[in-house]
Amino acid sequence: MATLLINGKSQTVDVDPGTPLLWVIRERLQLTGTKFGCGVAQCGACTVHLDGQAVRSCQTTVAQAAGKKITTIEGLDPAGRHPLQVAWIAEQVPQCGYCQSGQLMSAAALLARNPNPSDQEIVTAMSGNICRCATYLRIKRAIKRAAQGVRS
Amino acid sequence: MSRRVTRRAFLASAAAAGAALTIRFPLVGPGEAAGAAAYDPNATLTITPDGLVTVHITKAEMGQGVGTALAQIVAEELEADWKDVRVDYPINDPKYGLMLTGGSWSVNWTFDALSRAGAAARLALIDAAAKSWDVSPADCVAERGMIRHMPTGRSLRYGEIVAKVPITKTFTEDELKQITLKKPADYRVVGQWIPRLDIPDKVTGKAKFGMDTFLPNMVYAKVAYPPVREGATRTAVDDSGAKRVKGYVATVTLPQLVAVVATSYEAAVKARDALKVTWDAGPNANVSTDSIFAKFTQAKDDPNAAAWHEQGDVKAAMSGAARRHEATYTTDYVAHMQMEPMNCVVRFADGVYDVYTGSQFQTFAVGTLAATLGVDASKIRIHQQYLGGGFGRRLEPDIMVETALIAREVKRPVKLIRSREEDLRRDFYRSATLQVVKAALASDGKIVAWENTLVASHPGKRWGPDFVDKKGLDQFALNGADHVYDIPNQLVRAVPVETGIPVGYVRAVAPNYTFFAVETFMDELAKLAGVDPLQYRLSMLGSAPRLARVLRLAADKAGWGTSLPANTGRGIACVSAQEKKTPTWTASVVQARVDPASGKVRVEKIVCAVDCGIVVNPDGARSQIEGSILFGVSNALKERGTVANGALVQSNFHDYQVLRMDEVPDVEVHIVASTEYPTGLGEPGTTTVAPALSNAIFAATGARVRQVPLLPDRVLAALRARA
Repeated sequence: MATLLINGKSQTVDVDPGTPLLWVIRERLQLTGTKFGCGVAQCGACTVHLDGQAVRSCQTTVAQAAGKKITTIEGLDPAGRHPLQVAWIAEQVPQCGYCQSGQLMSAAALLARNPNPSDQEIVTAMSGNICRCATYLRIKRAIKRAAQGVRS
Repeated sequence: MSRRVTRRAFLASAAAAGAALTIRFPLVGPGEAAGAAAYDPNATLTITPDGLVTVHITKAEMGQGVGTALAQIVAEELEADWKDVRVDYPINDPKYGLMLTGGSWSVNWTFDALSRAGAAARLALIDAAAKSWDVSPADCVAERGMIRHMPTGRSLRYGEIVAKVPITKTFTEDELKQITLKKPADYRVVGQWIPRLDIPDKVTGKAKFGMDTFLPNMVYAKVAYPPVREGATRTAVDDSGAKRVKGYVATVTLPQLVAVVATSYEAAVKARDALKVTWDAGPNANVSTDSIFAKFTQAKDDPNAAAWHEQGDVKAAMSGAARRHEATYTTDYVAHMQMEPMNCVVRFADGVYDVYTGSQFQTFAVGTLAATLGVDASKIRIHQQYLGGGFGRRLEPDIMVETALIAREVKRPVKLIRSREEDLRRDFYRSATLQVVKAALASDGKIVAWENTLVASHPGKRWGPDFVDKKGLDQFALNGADHVYDIPNQLVRAVPVETGIPVGYVRAVAPNYTFFAVETFMDELAKLAGVDPLQYRLSMLGSAPRLARVLRLAADKAGWGTSLPANTGRGIACVSAQEKKTPTWTASVVQARVDPASGKVRVEKIVCAVDCGIVVNPDGARSQIEGSILFGVSNALKERGTVANGALVQSNFHDYQVLRMDEVPDVEVHIVASTEYPTGLGEPGTTTVAPALSNAIFAATGARVRQVPLLPDRVLAALRARA
């Protein structure tokens, strides 16, 4: 048994403490916005926030997440109107969309610690997230757009 | 449905771009339509009394924005108010005709048919409104979801007509063909910047992909795959360890597979890992990259190689020419690496298989499933989900077959998710290739003869005898080798080779490797002739003026001919991809910098010019071109699948690397305004990158790299060969 605080809600699940957080979020709690892409922290599709830090939920165990505030894409903004989500629509970023939850969660953690990232800082923060449709140009533009909106 | 039927339908569709593929007229009878709950004039659309227009999208949405684009085409002729337009992705049904998404065909194949479906519904609505007012239909117009009687100003909204007025007008196939469609100058929806309908749910995590399916009482399966990709046989299964895993439900042992079923994904993984399966590795146990290329090298000299494309007399022209040149190009295996690993959920109940997944080829999947499971095609229902990347991987029904077989045994809904490692090792790759290209030049530098021997595995062979031509060739393994340059004598020799590594269709398919050879070789010949590569190409594009135009446009915008820093160069390439008969004219200039010490190549900028005819959704088009170009950069710079012991060596994104943000160049896209019939955009851009980049490396350093991917060690070797 493990108790997890996800998107402000406490949830108790009957799993082995070594279970990857990803599978609990997705397959037990059916918060399916968080995606499985590689299982080895190489692609970033499973990115969530643990106490505000972007982590790969496929390499985070339930035991490591217990007692921390877990935020998934579903909890990024109650109305789905986080400045990044608004910018993502304005720039028409997603193609297939599968990696975009992870992209948004990585970008949100970046802007939370650095509201005015340079191009290089964006690239450094986002290069752990793969987009096979290669929407990278638009992701970069959307992060800048959101950053400008947050500052103004 | 037999594969033969599938193939016939496929050929008919391929041959008839824009023909009525999915539209089945006449319309439903007047009795049903009168005062009905909804108006379903054809398989394309439904109008409900609330005024909503639902366009039924029979193409897979895998990020290309096809739902929005196809709905725009229907809405244009229907004169629907865009805010009333919705889309859905229906379950397979013979009434939808061929359900296949690939080849950059979606808009090209449906533009005319969807336009006519929308127009026919509009005319029927006008007819119904006019009858209800007892006026002439000629005095009525349709605009923004409403029929208006011009002399009196009376109007009825589409929803009101559906709710209150009998709609009786129907169309035969001939009448449908005779409808006069709008002129491009009058378009109000097609060609407009319209936000994609699927995007809002893709930024909140709400969008449902195949893997996001949950059914009551569902269990998880894992398959024990053989260590060799193809040809291994199972000799023993010991599931005593698996049975001890908490959550274990069953072991499924069938001729086709052995799998373990458990109550959770983790338990299924543990139980499968505890399963002891003994394999006889079979005839491919020693297949390796070296053995495959050795086989290719031997095969290229096959005197019986089939002529796939031939004009003039190459032999005579070669022997009489002033100068000859020959070069050999190779490309390595490429994997799809779509972000959503292959997965499927199947429920088998009451004789019906409900299949939840994202499919690019439902028609083929239904036929394959029905044949494998021994049931009628009507018992297979594919519930189409969003595709977490397709790129051709989801043309294959393999994951559906495995899941359905397991679900039949366990009598509970089954979810099968492949790990990334399994996804990569069980992929159907883009074939490794070897091409030997020869040309003869006249004394003025003009090409008088061109010969390409193309050695590759052909995917159609695996799909069945109906997916290859009479010579046993799969045209989709060859397209592009029949380029559009004005060269009097040409020969493409096709040599299909089986290697034990199964191949499939990966985004942009054959033109990835055919245009790499064609366009790199063209650069080599330009050098030999002492002519600028741009001018050299233009001199042979007299019969392809639209290609010449985008070539000039890309060159102009890229500053072709202006100077660059040391070790930096520009390369150019132009293509008639995906197919010569329905080309999207595409040209790119790649600017790249080479580090001569390490051989590492940095792509700095790509300028791409495209003429695809009518553009349905300009921003969607741009997005597809950007994505296809960067997919090409990834292929050209990084992706190398190697083989050892009969299987792919690579296992995940750490050793099969794809493009990340840190290597993304600037991309500039120029789309030519056009009123020509539309072609496709998902792939052609990809095919320009490898040759233009190889040419840029040559321009920067004088080193010619003839192997894709253009890896640093290959660049270094070419630099040394130059010196």
